[in-house]
Amino acid sequence: MSIAKTRVLEDSKGRRAAFEDIQVGQTLGEIEWRITDELIDLQCQLDQDFDPLFFPQDEGARRIAPPQITYRPPRWLISRTYNVRGLFVRWESESFRALEPDTTITVSGSIVDKFIKKDREFVVYQAEGKDVAGNLIFRTKRTHVLDFVERNAPREGAGIDSGIKAEKI
Amino acid sequence: MRREKAPGSTPVSKLKKSDMSLIDKNVAVGHKLPTVAKKFRLEDFKRADEKTIHTDYEAAAKEGLPAPVAIGPQVAALLFRQFRLCFGMGWIVGGRFDLTFRKPVFVTDFCVARSIVIKTEPEGGKVRVHCDVWVENQKQDKVIVGTASALVEGA
Repeated sequence: MSIAKTRVLEDSKGRRAAFEDIQVGQTLGEIEWRITDELIDLQCQLDQDFDPLFFPQDEGARRIAPPQITYRPPRWLISRTYNVRGLFVRWESESFRALEPDTTITVSGSIVDKFIKKDREFVVYQAEGKDVAGNLIFRTKRTHVLDFVERNAPREGAGIDSGIKAEKI
Repeated sequence: MRREKAPGSTPVSKLKKSDMSLIDKNVAVGHKLPTVAKKFRLEDFKRADEKTIHTDYEAAAKEGLPAPVAIGPQVAALLFRQFRLCFGMGWIVGGRFDLTFRKPVFVTDFCVARSIVIKTEPEGGKVRVHCDVWVENQKQDKVIVGTASALVEGA
């Protein structure tokens, strides 16, 4: 098995987004997402964090979700518009309120920048999540490099993985 | 279910003092938070039977990667555990971070989250504790670097 010297042109979900395709300022739309007990269980399992804040043991104690449970909806939003596999290179985030089970949040986002650095192409997007009352839950800004391979390499061939993922944890 | 109120979200102003942290407002600049470490396994990154750059050597090679790479947020979660441990609800509500993933973490790497207090400042009746944070691999390469902050009681 040889390590590719070219950038992937397409995968099973279609053509990969090219740097030229990405429109700074473009809205990524919005997504409604319900936080459930099962999703909190899964997030804690992934992160191997079983603190009583997330698994309350005292009668009457309220359960909350780890803040990083909000990682995925913004990623799904960009995937709905652009097939970006690449690698995640920068993550900025702030949490304003604690999330409890059975809360529905609405996450919206937009493309805020794109740039070239060290011969690689990057896209920057931001997103925020609000509860049904309109309270801001979190705000985030993410940077992805479009390809691990440098941009002077041609785009050709098919990849196995895709930037477009099933919208689940 | 052990909840006693309707589901929703909770603002920082509603937090009780007892929800807050191991670290308090008197923490000294230079204080090192307790480390959190993990030896990752490829199985940690599997979802169903998908072949991804996180689980499959061929999928990774197609992208120019020498081996499957860890899912970044699962590595960053070592820092999140550290901050949850040290700051409790002051991390959950009011926590901020800015992390750069400098190098790929491979799926069997050993990683350690480290943080050091660099500044404290009053914020809305509480104190924000700022830290430099990083995650090292088994070669002591800093694979994630950045800053993070959380709130503690008292101004």
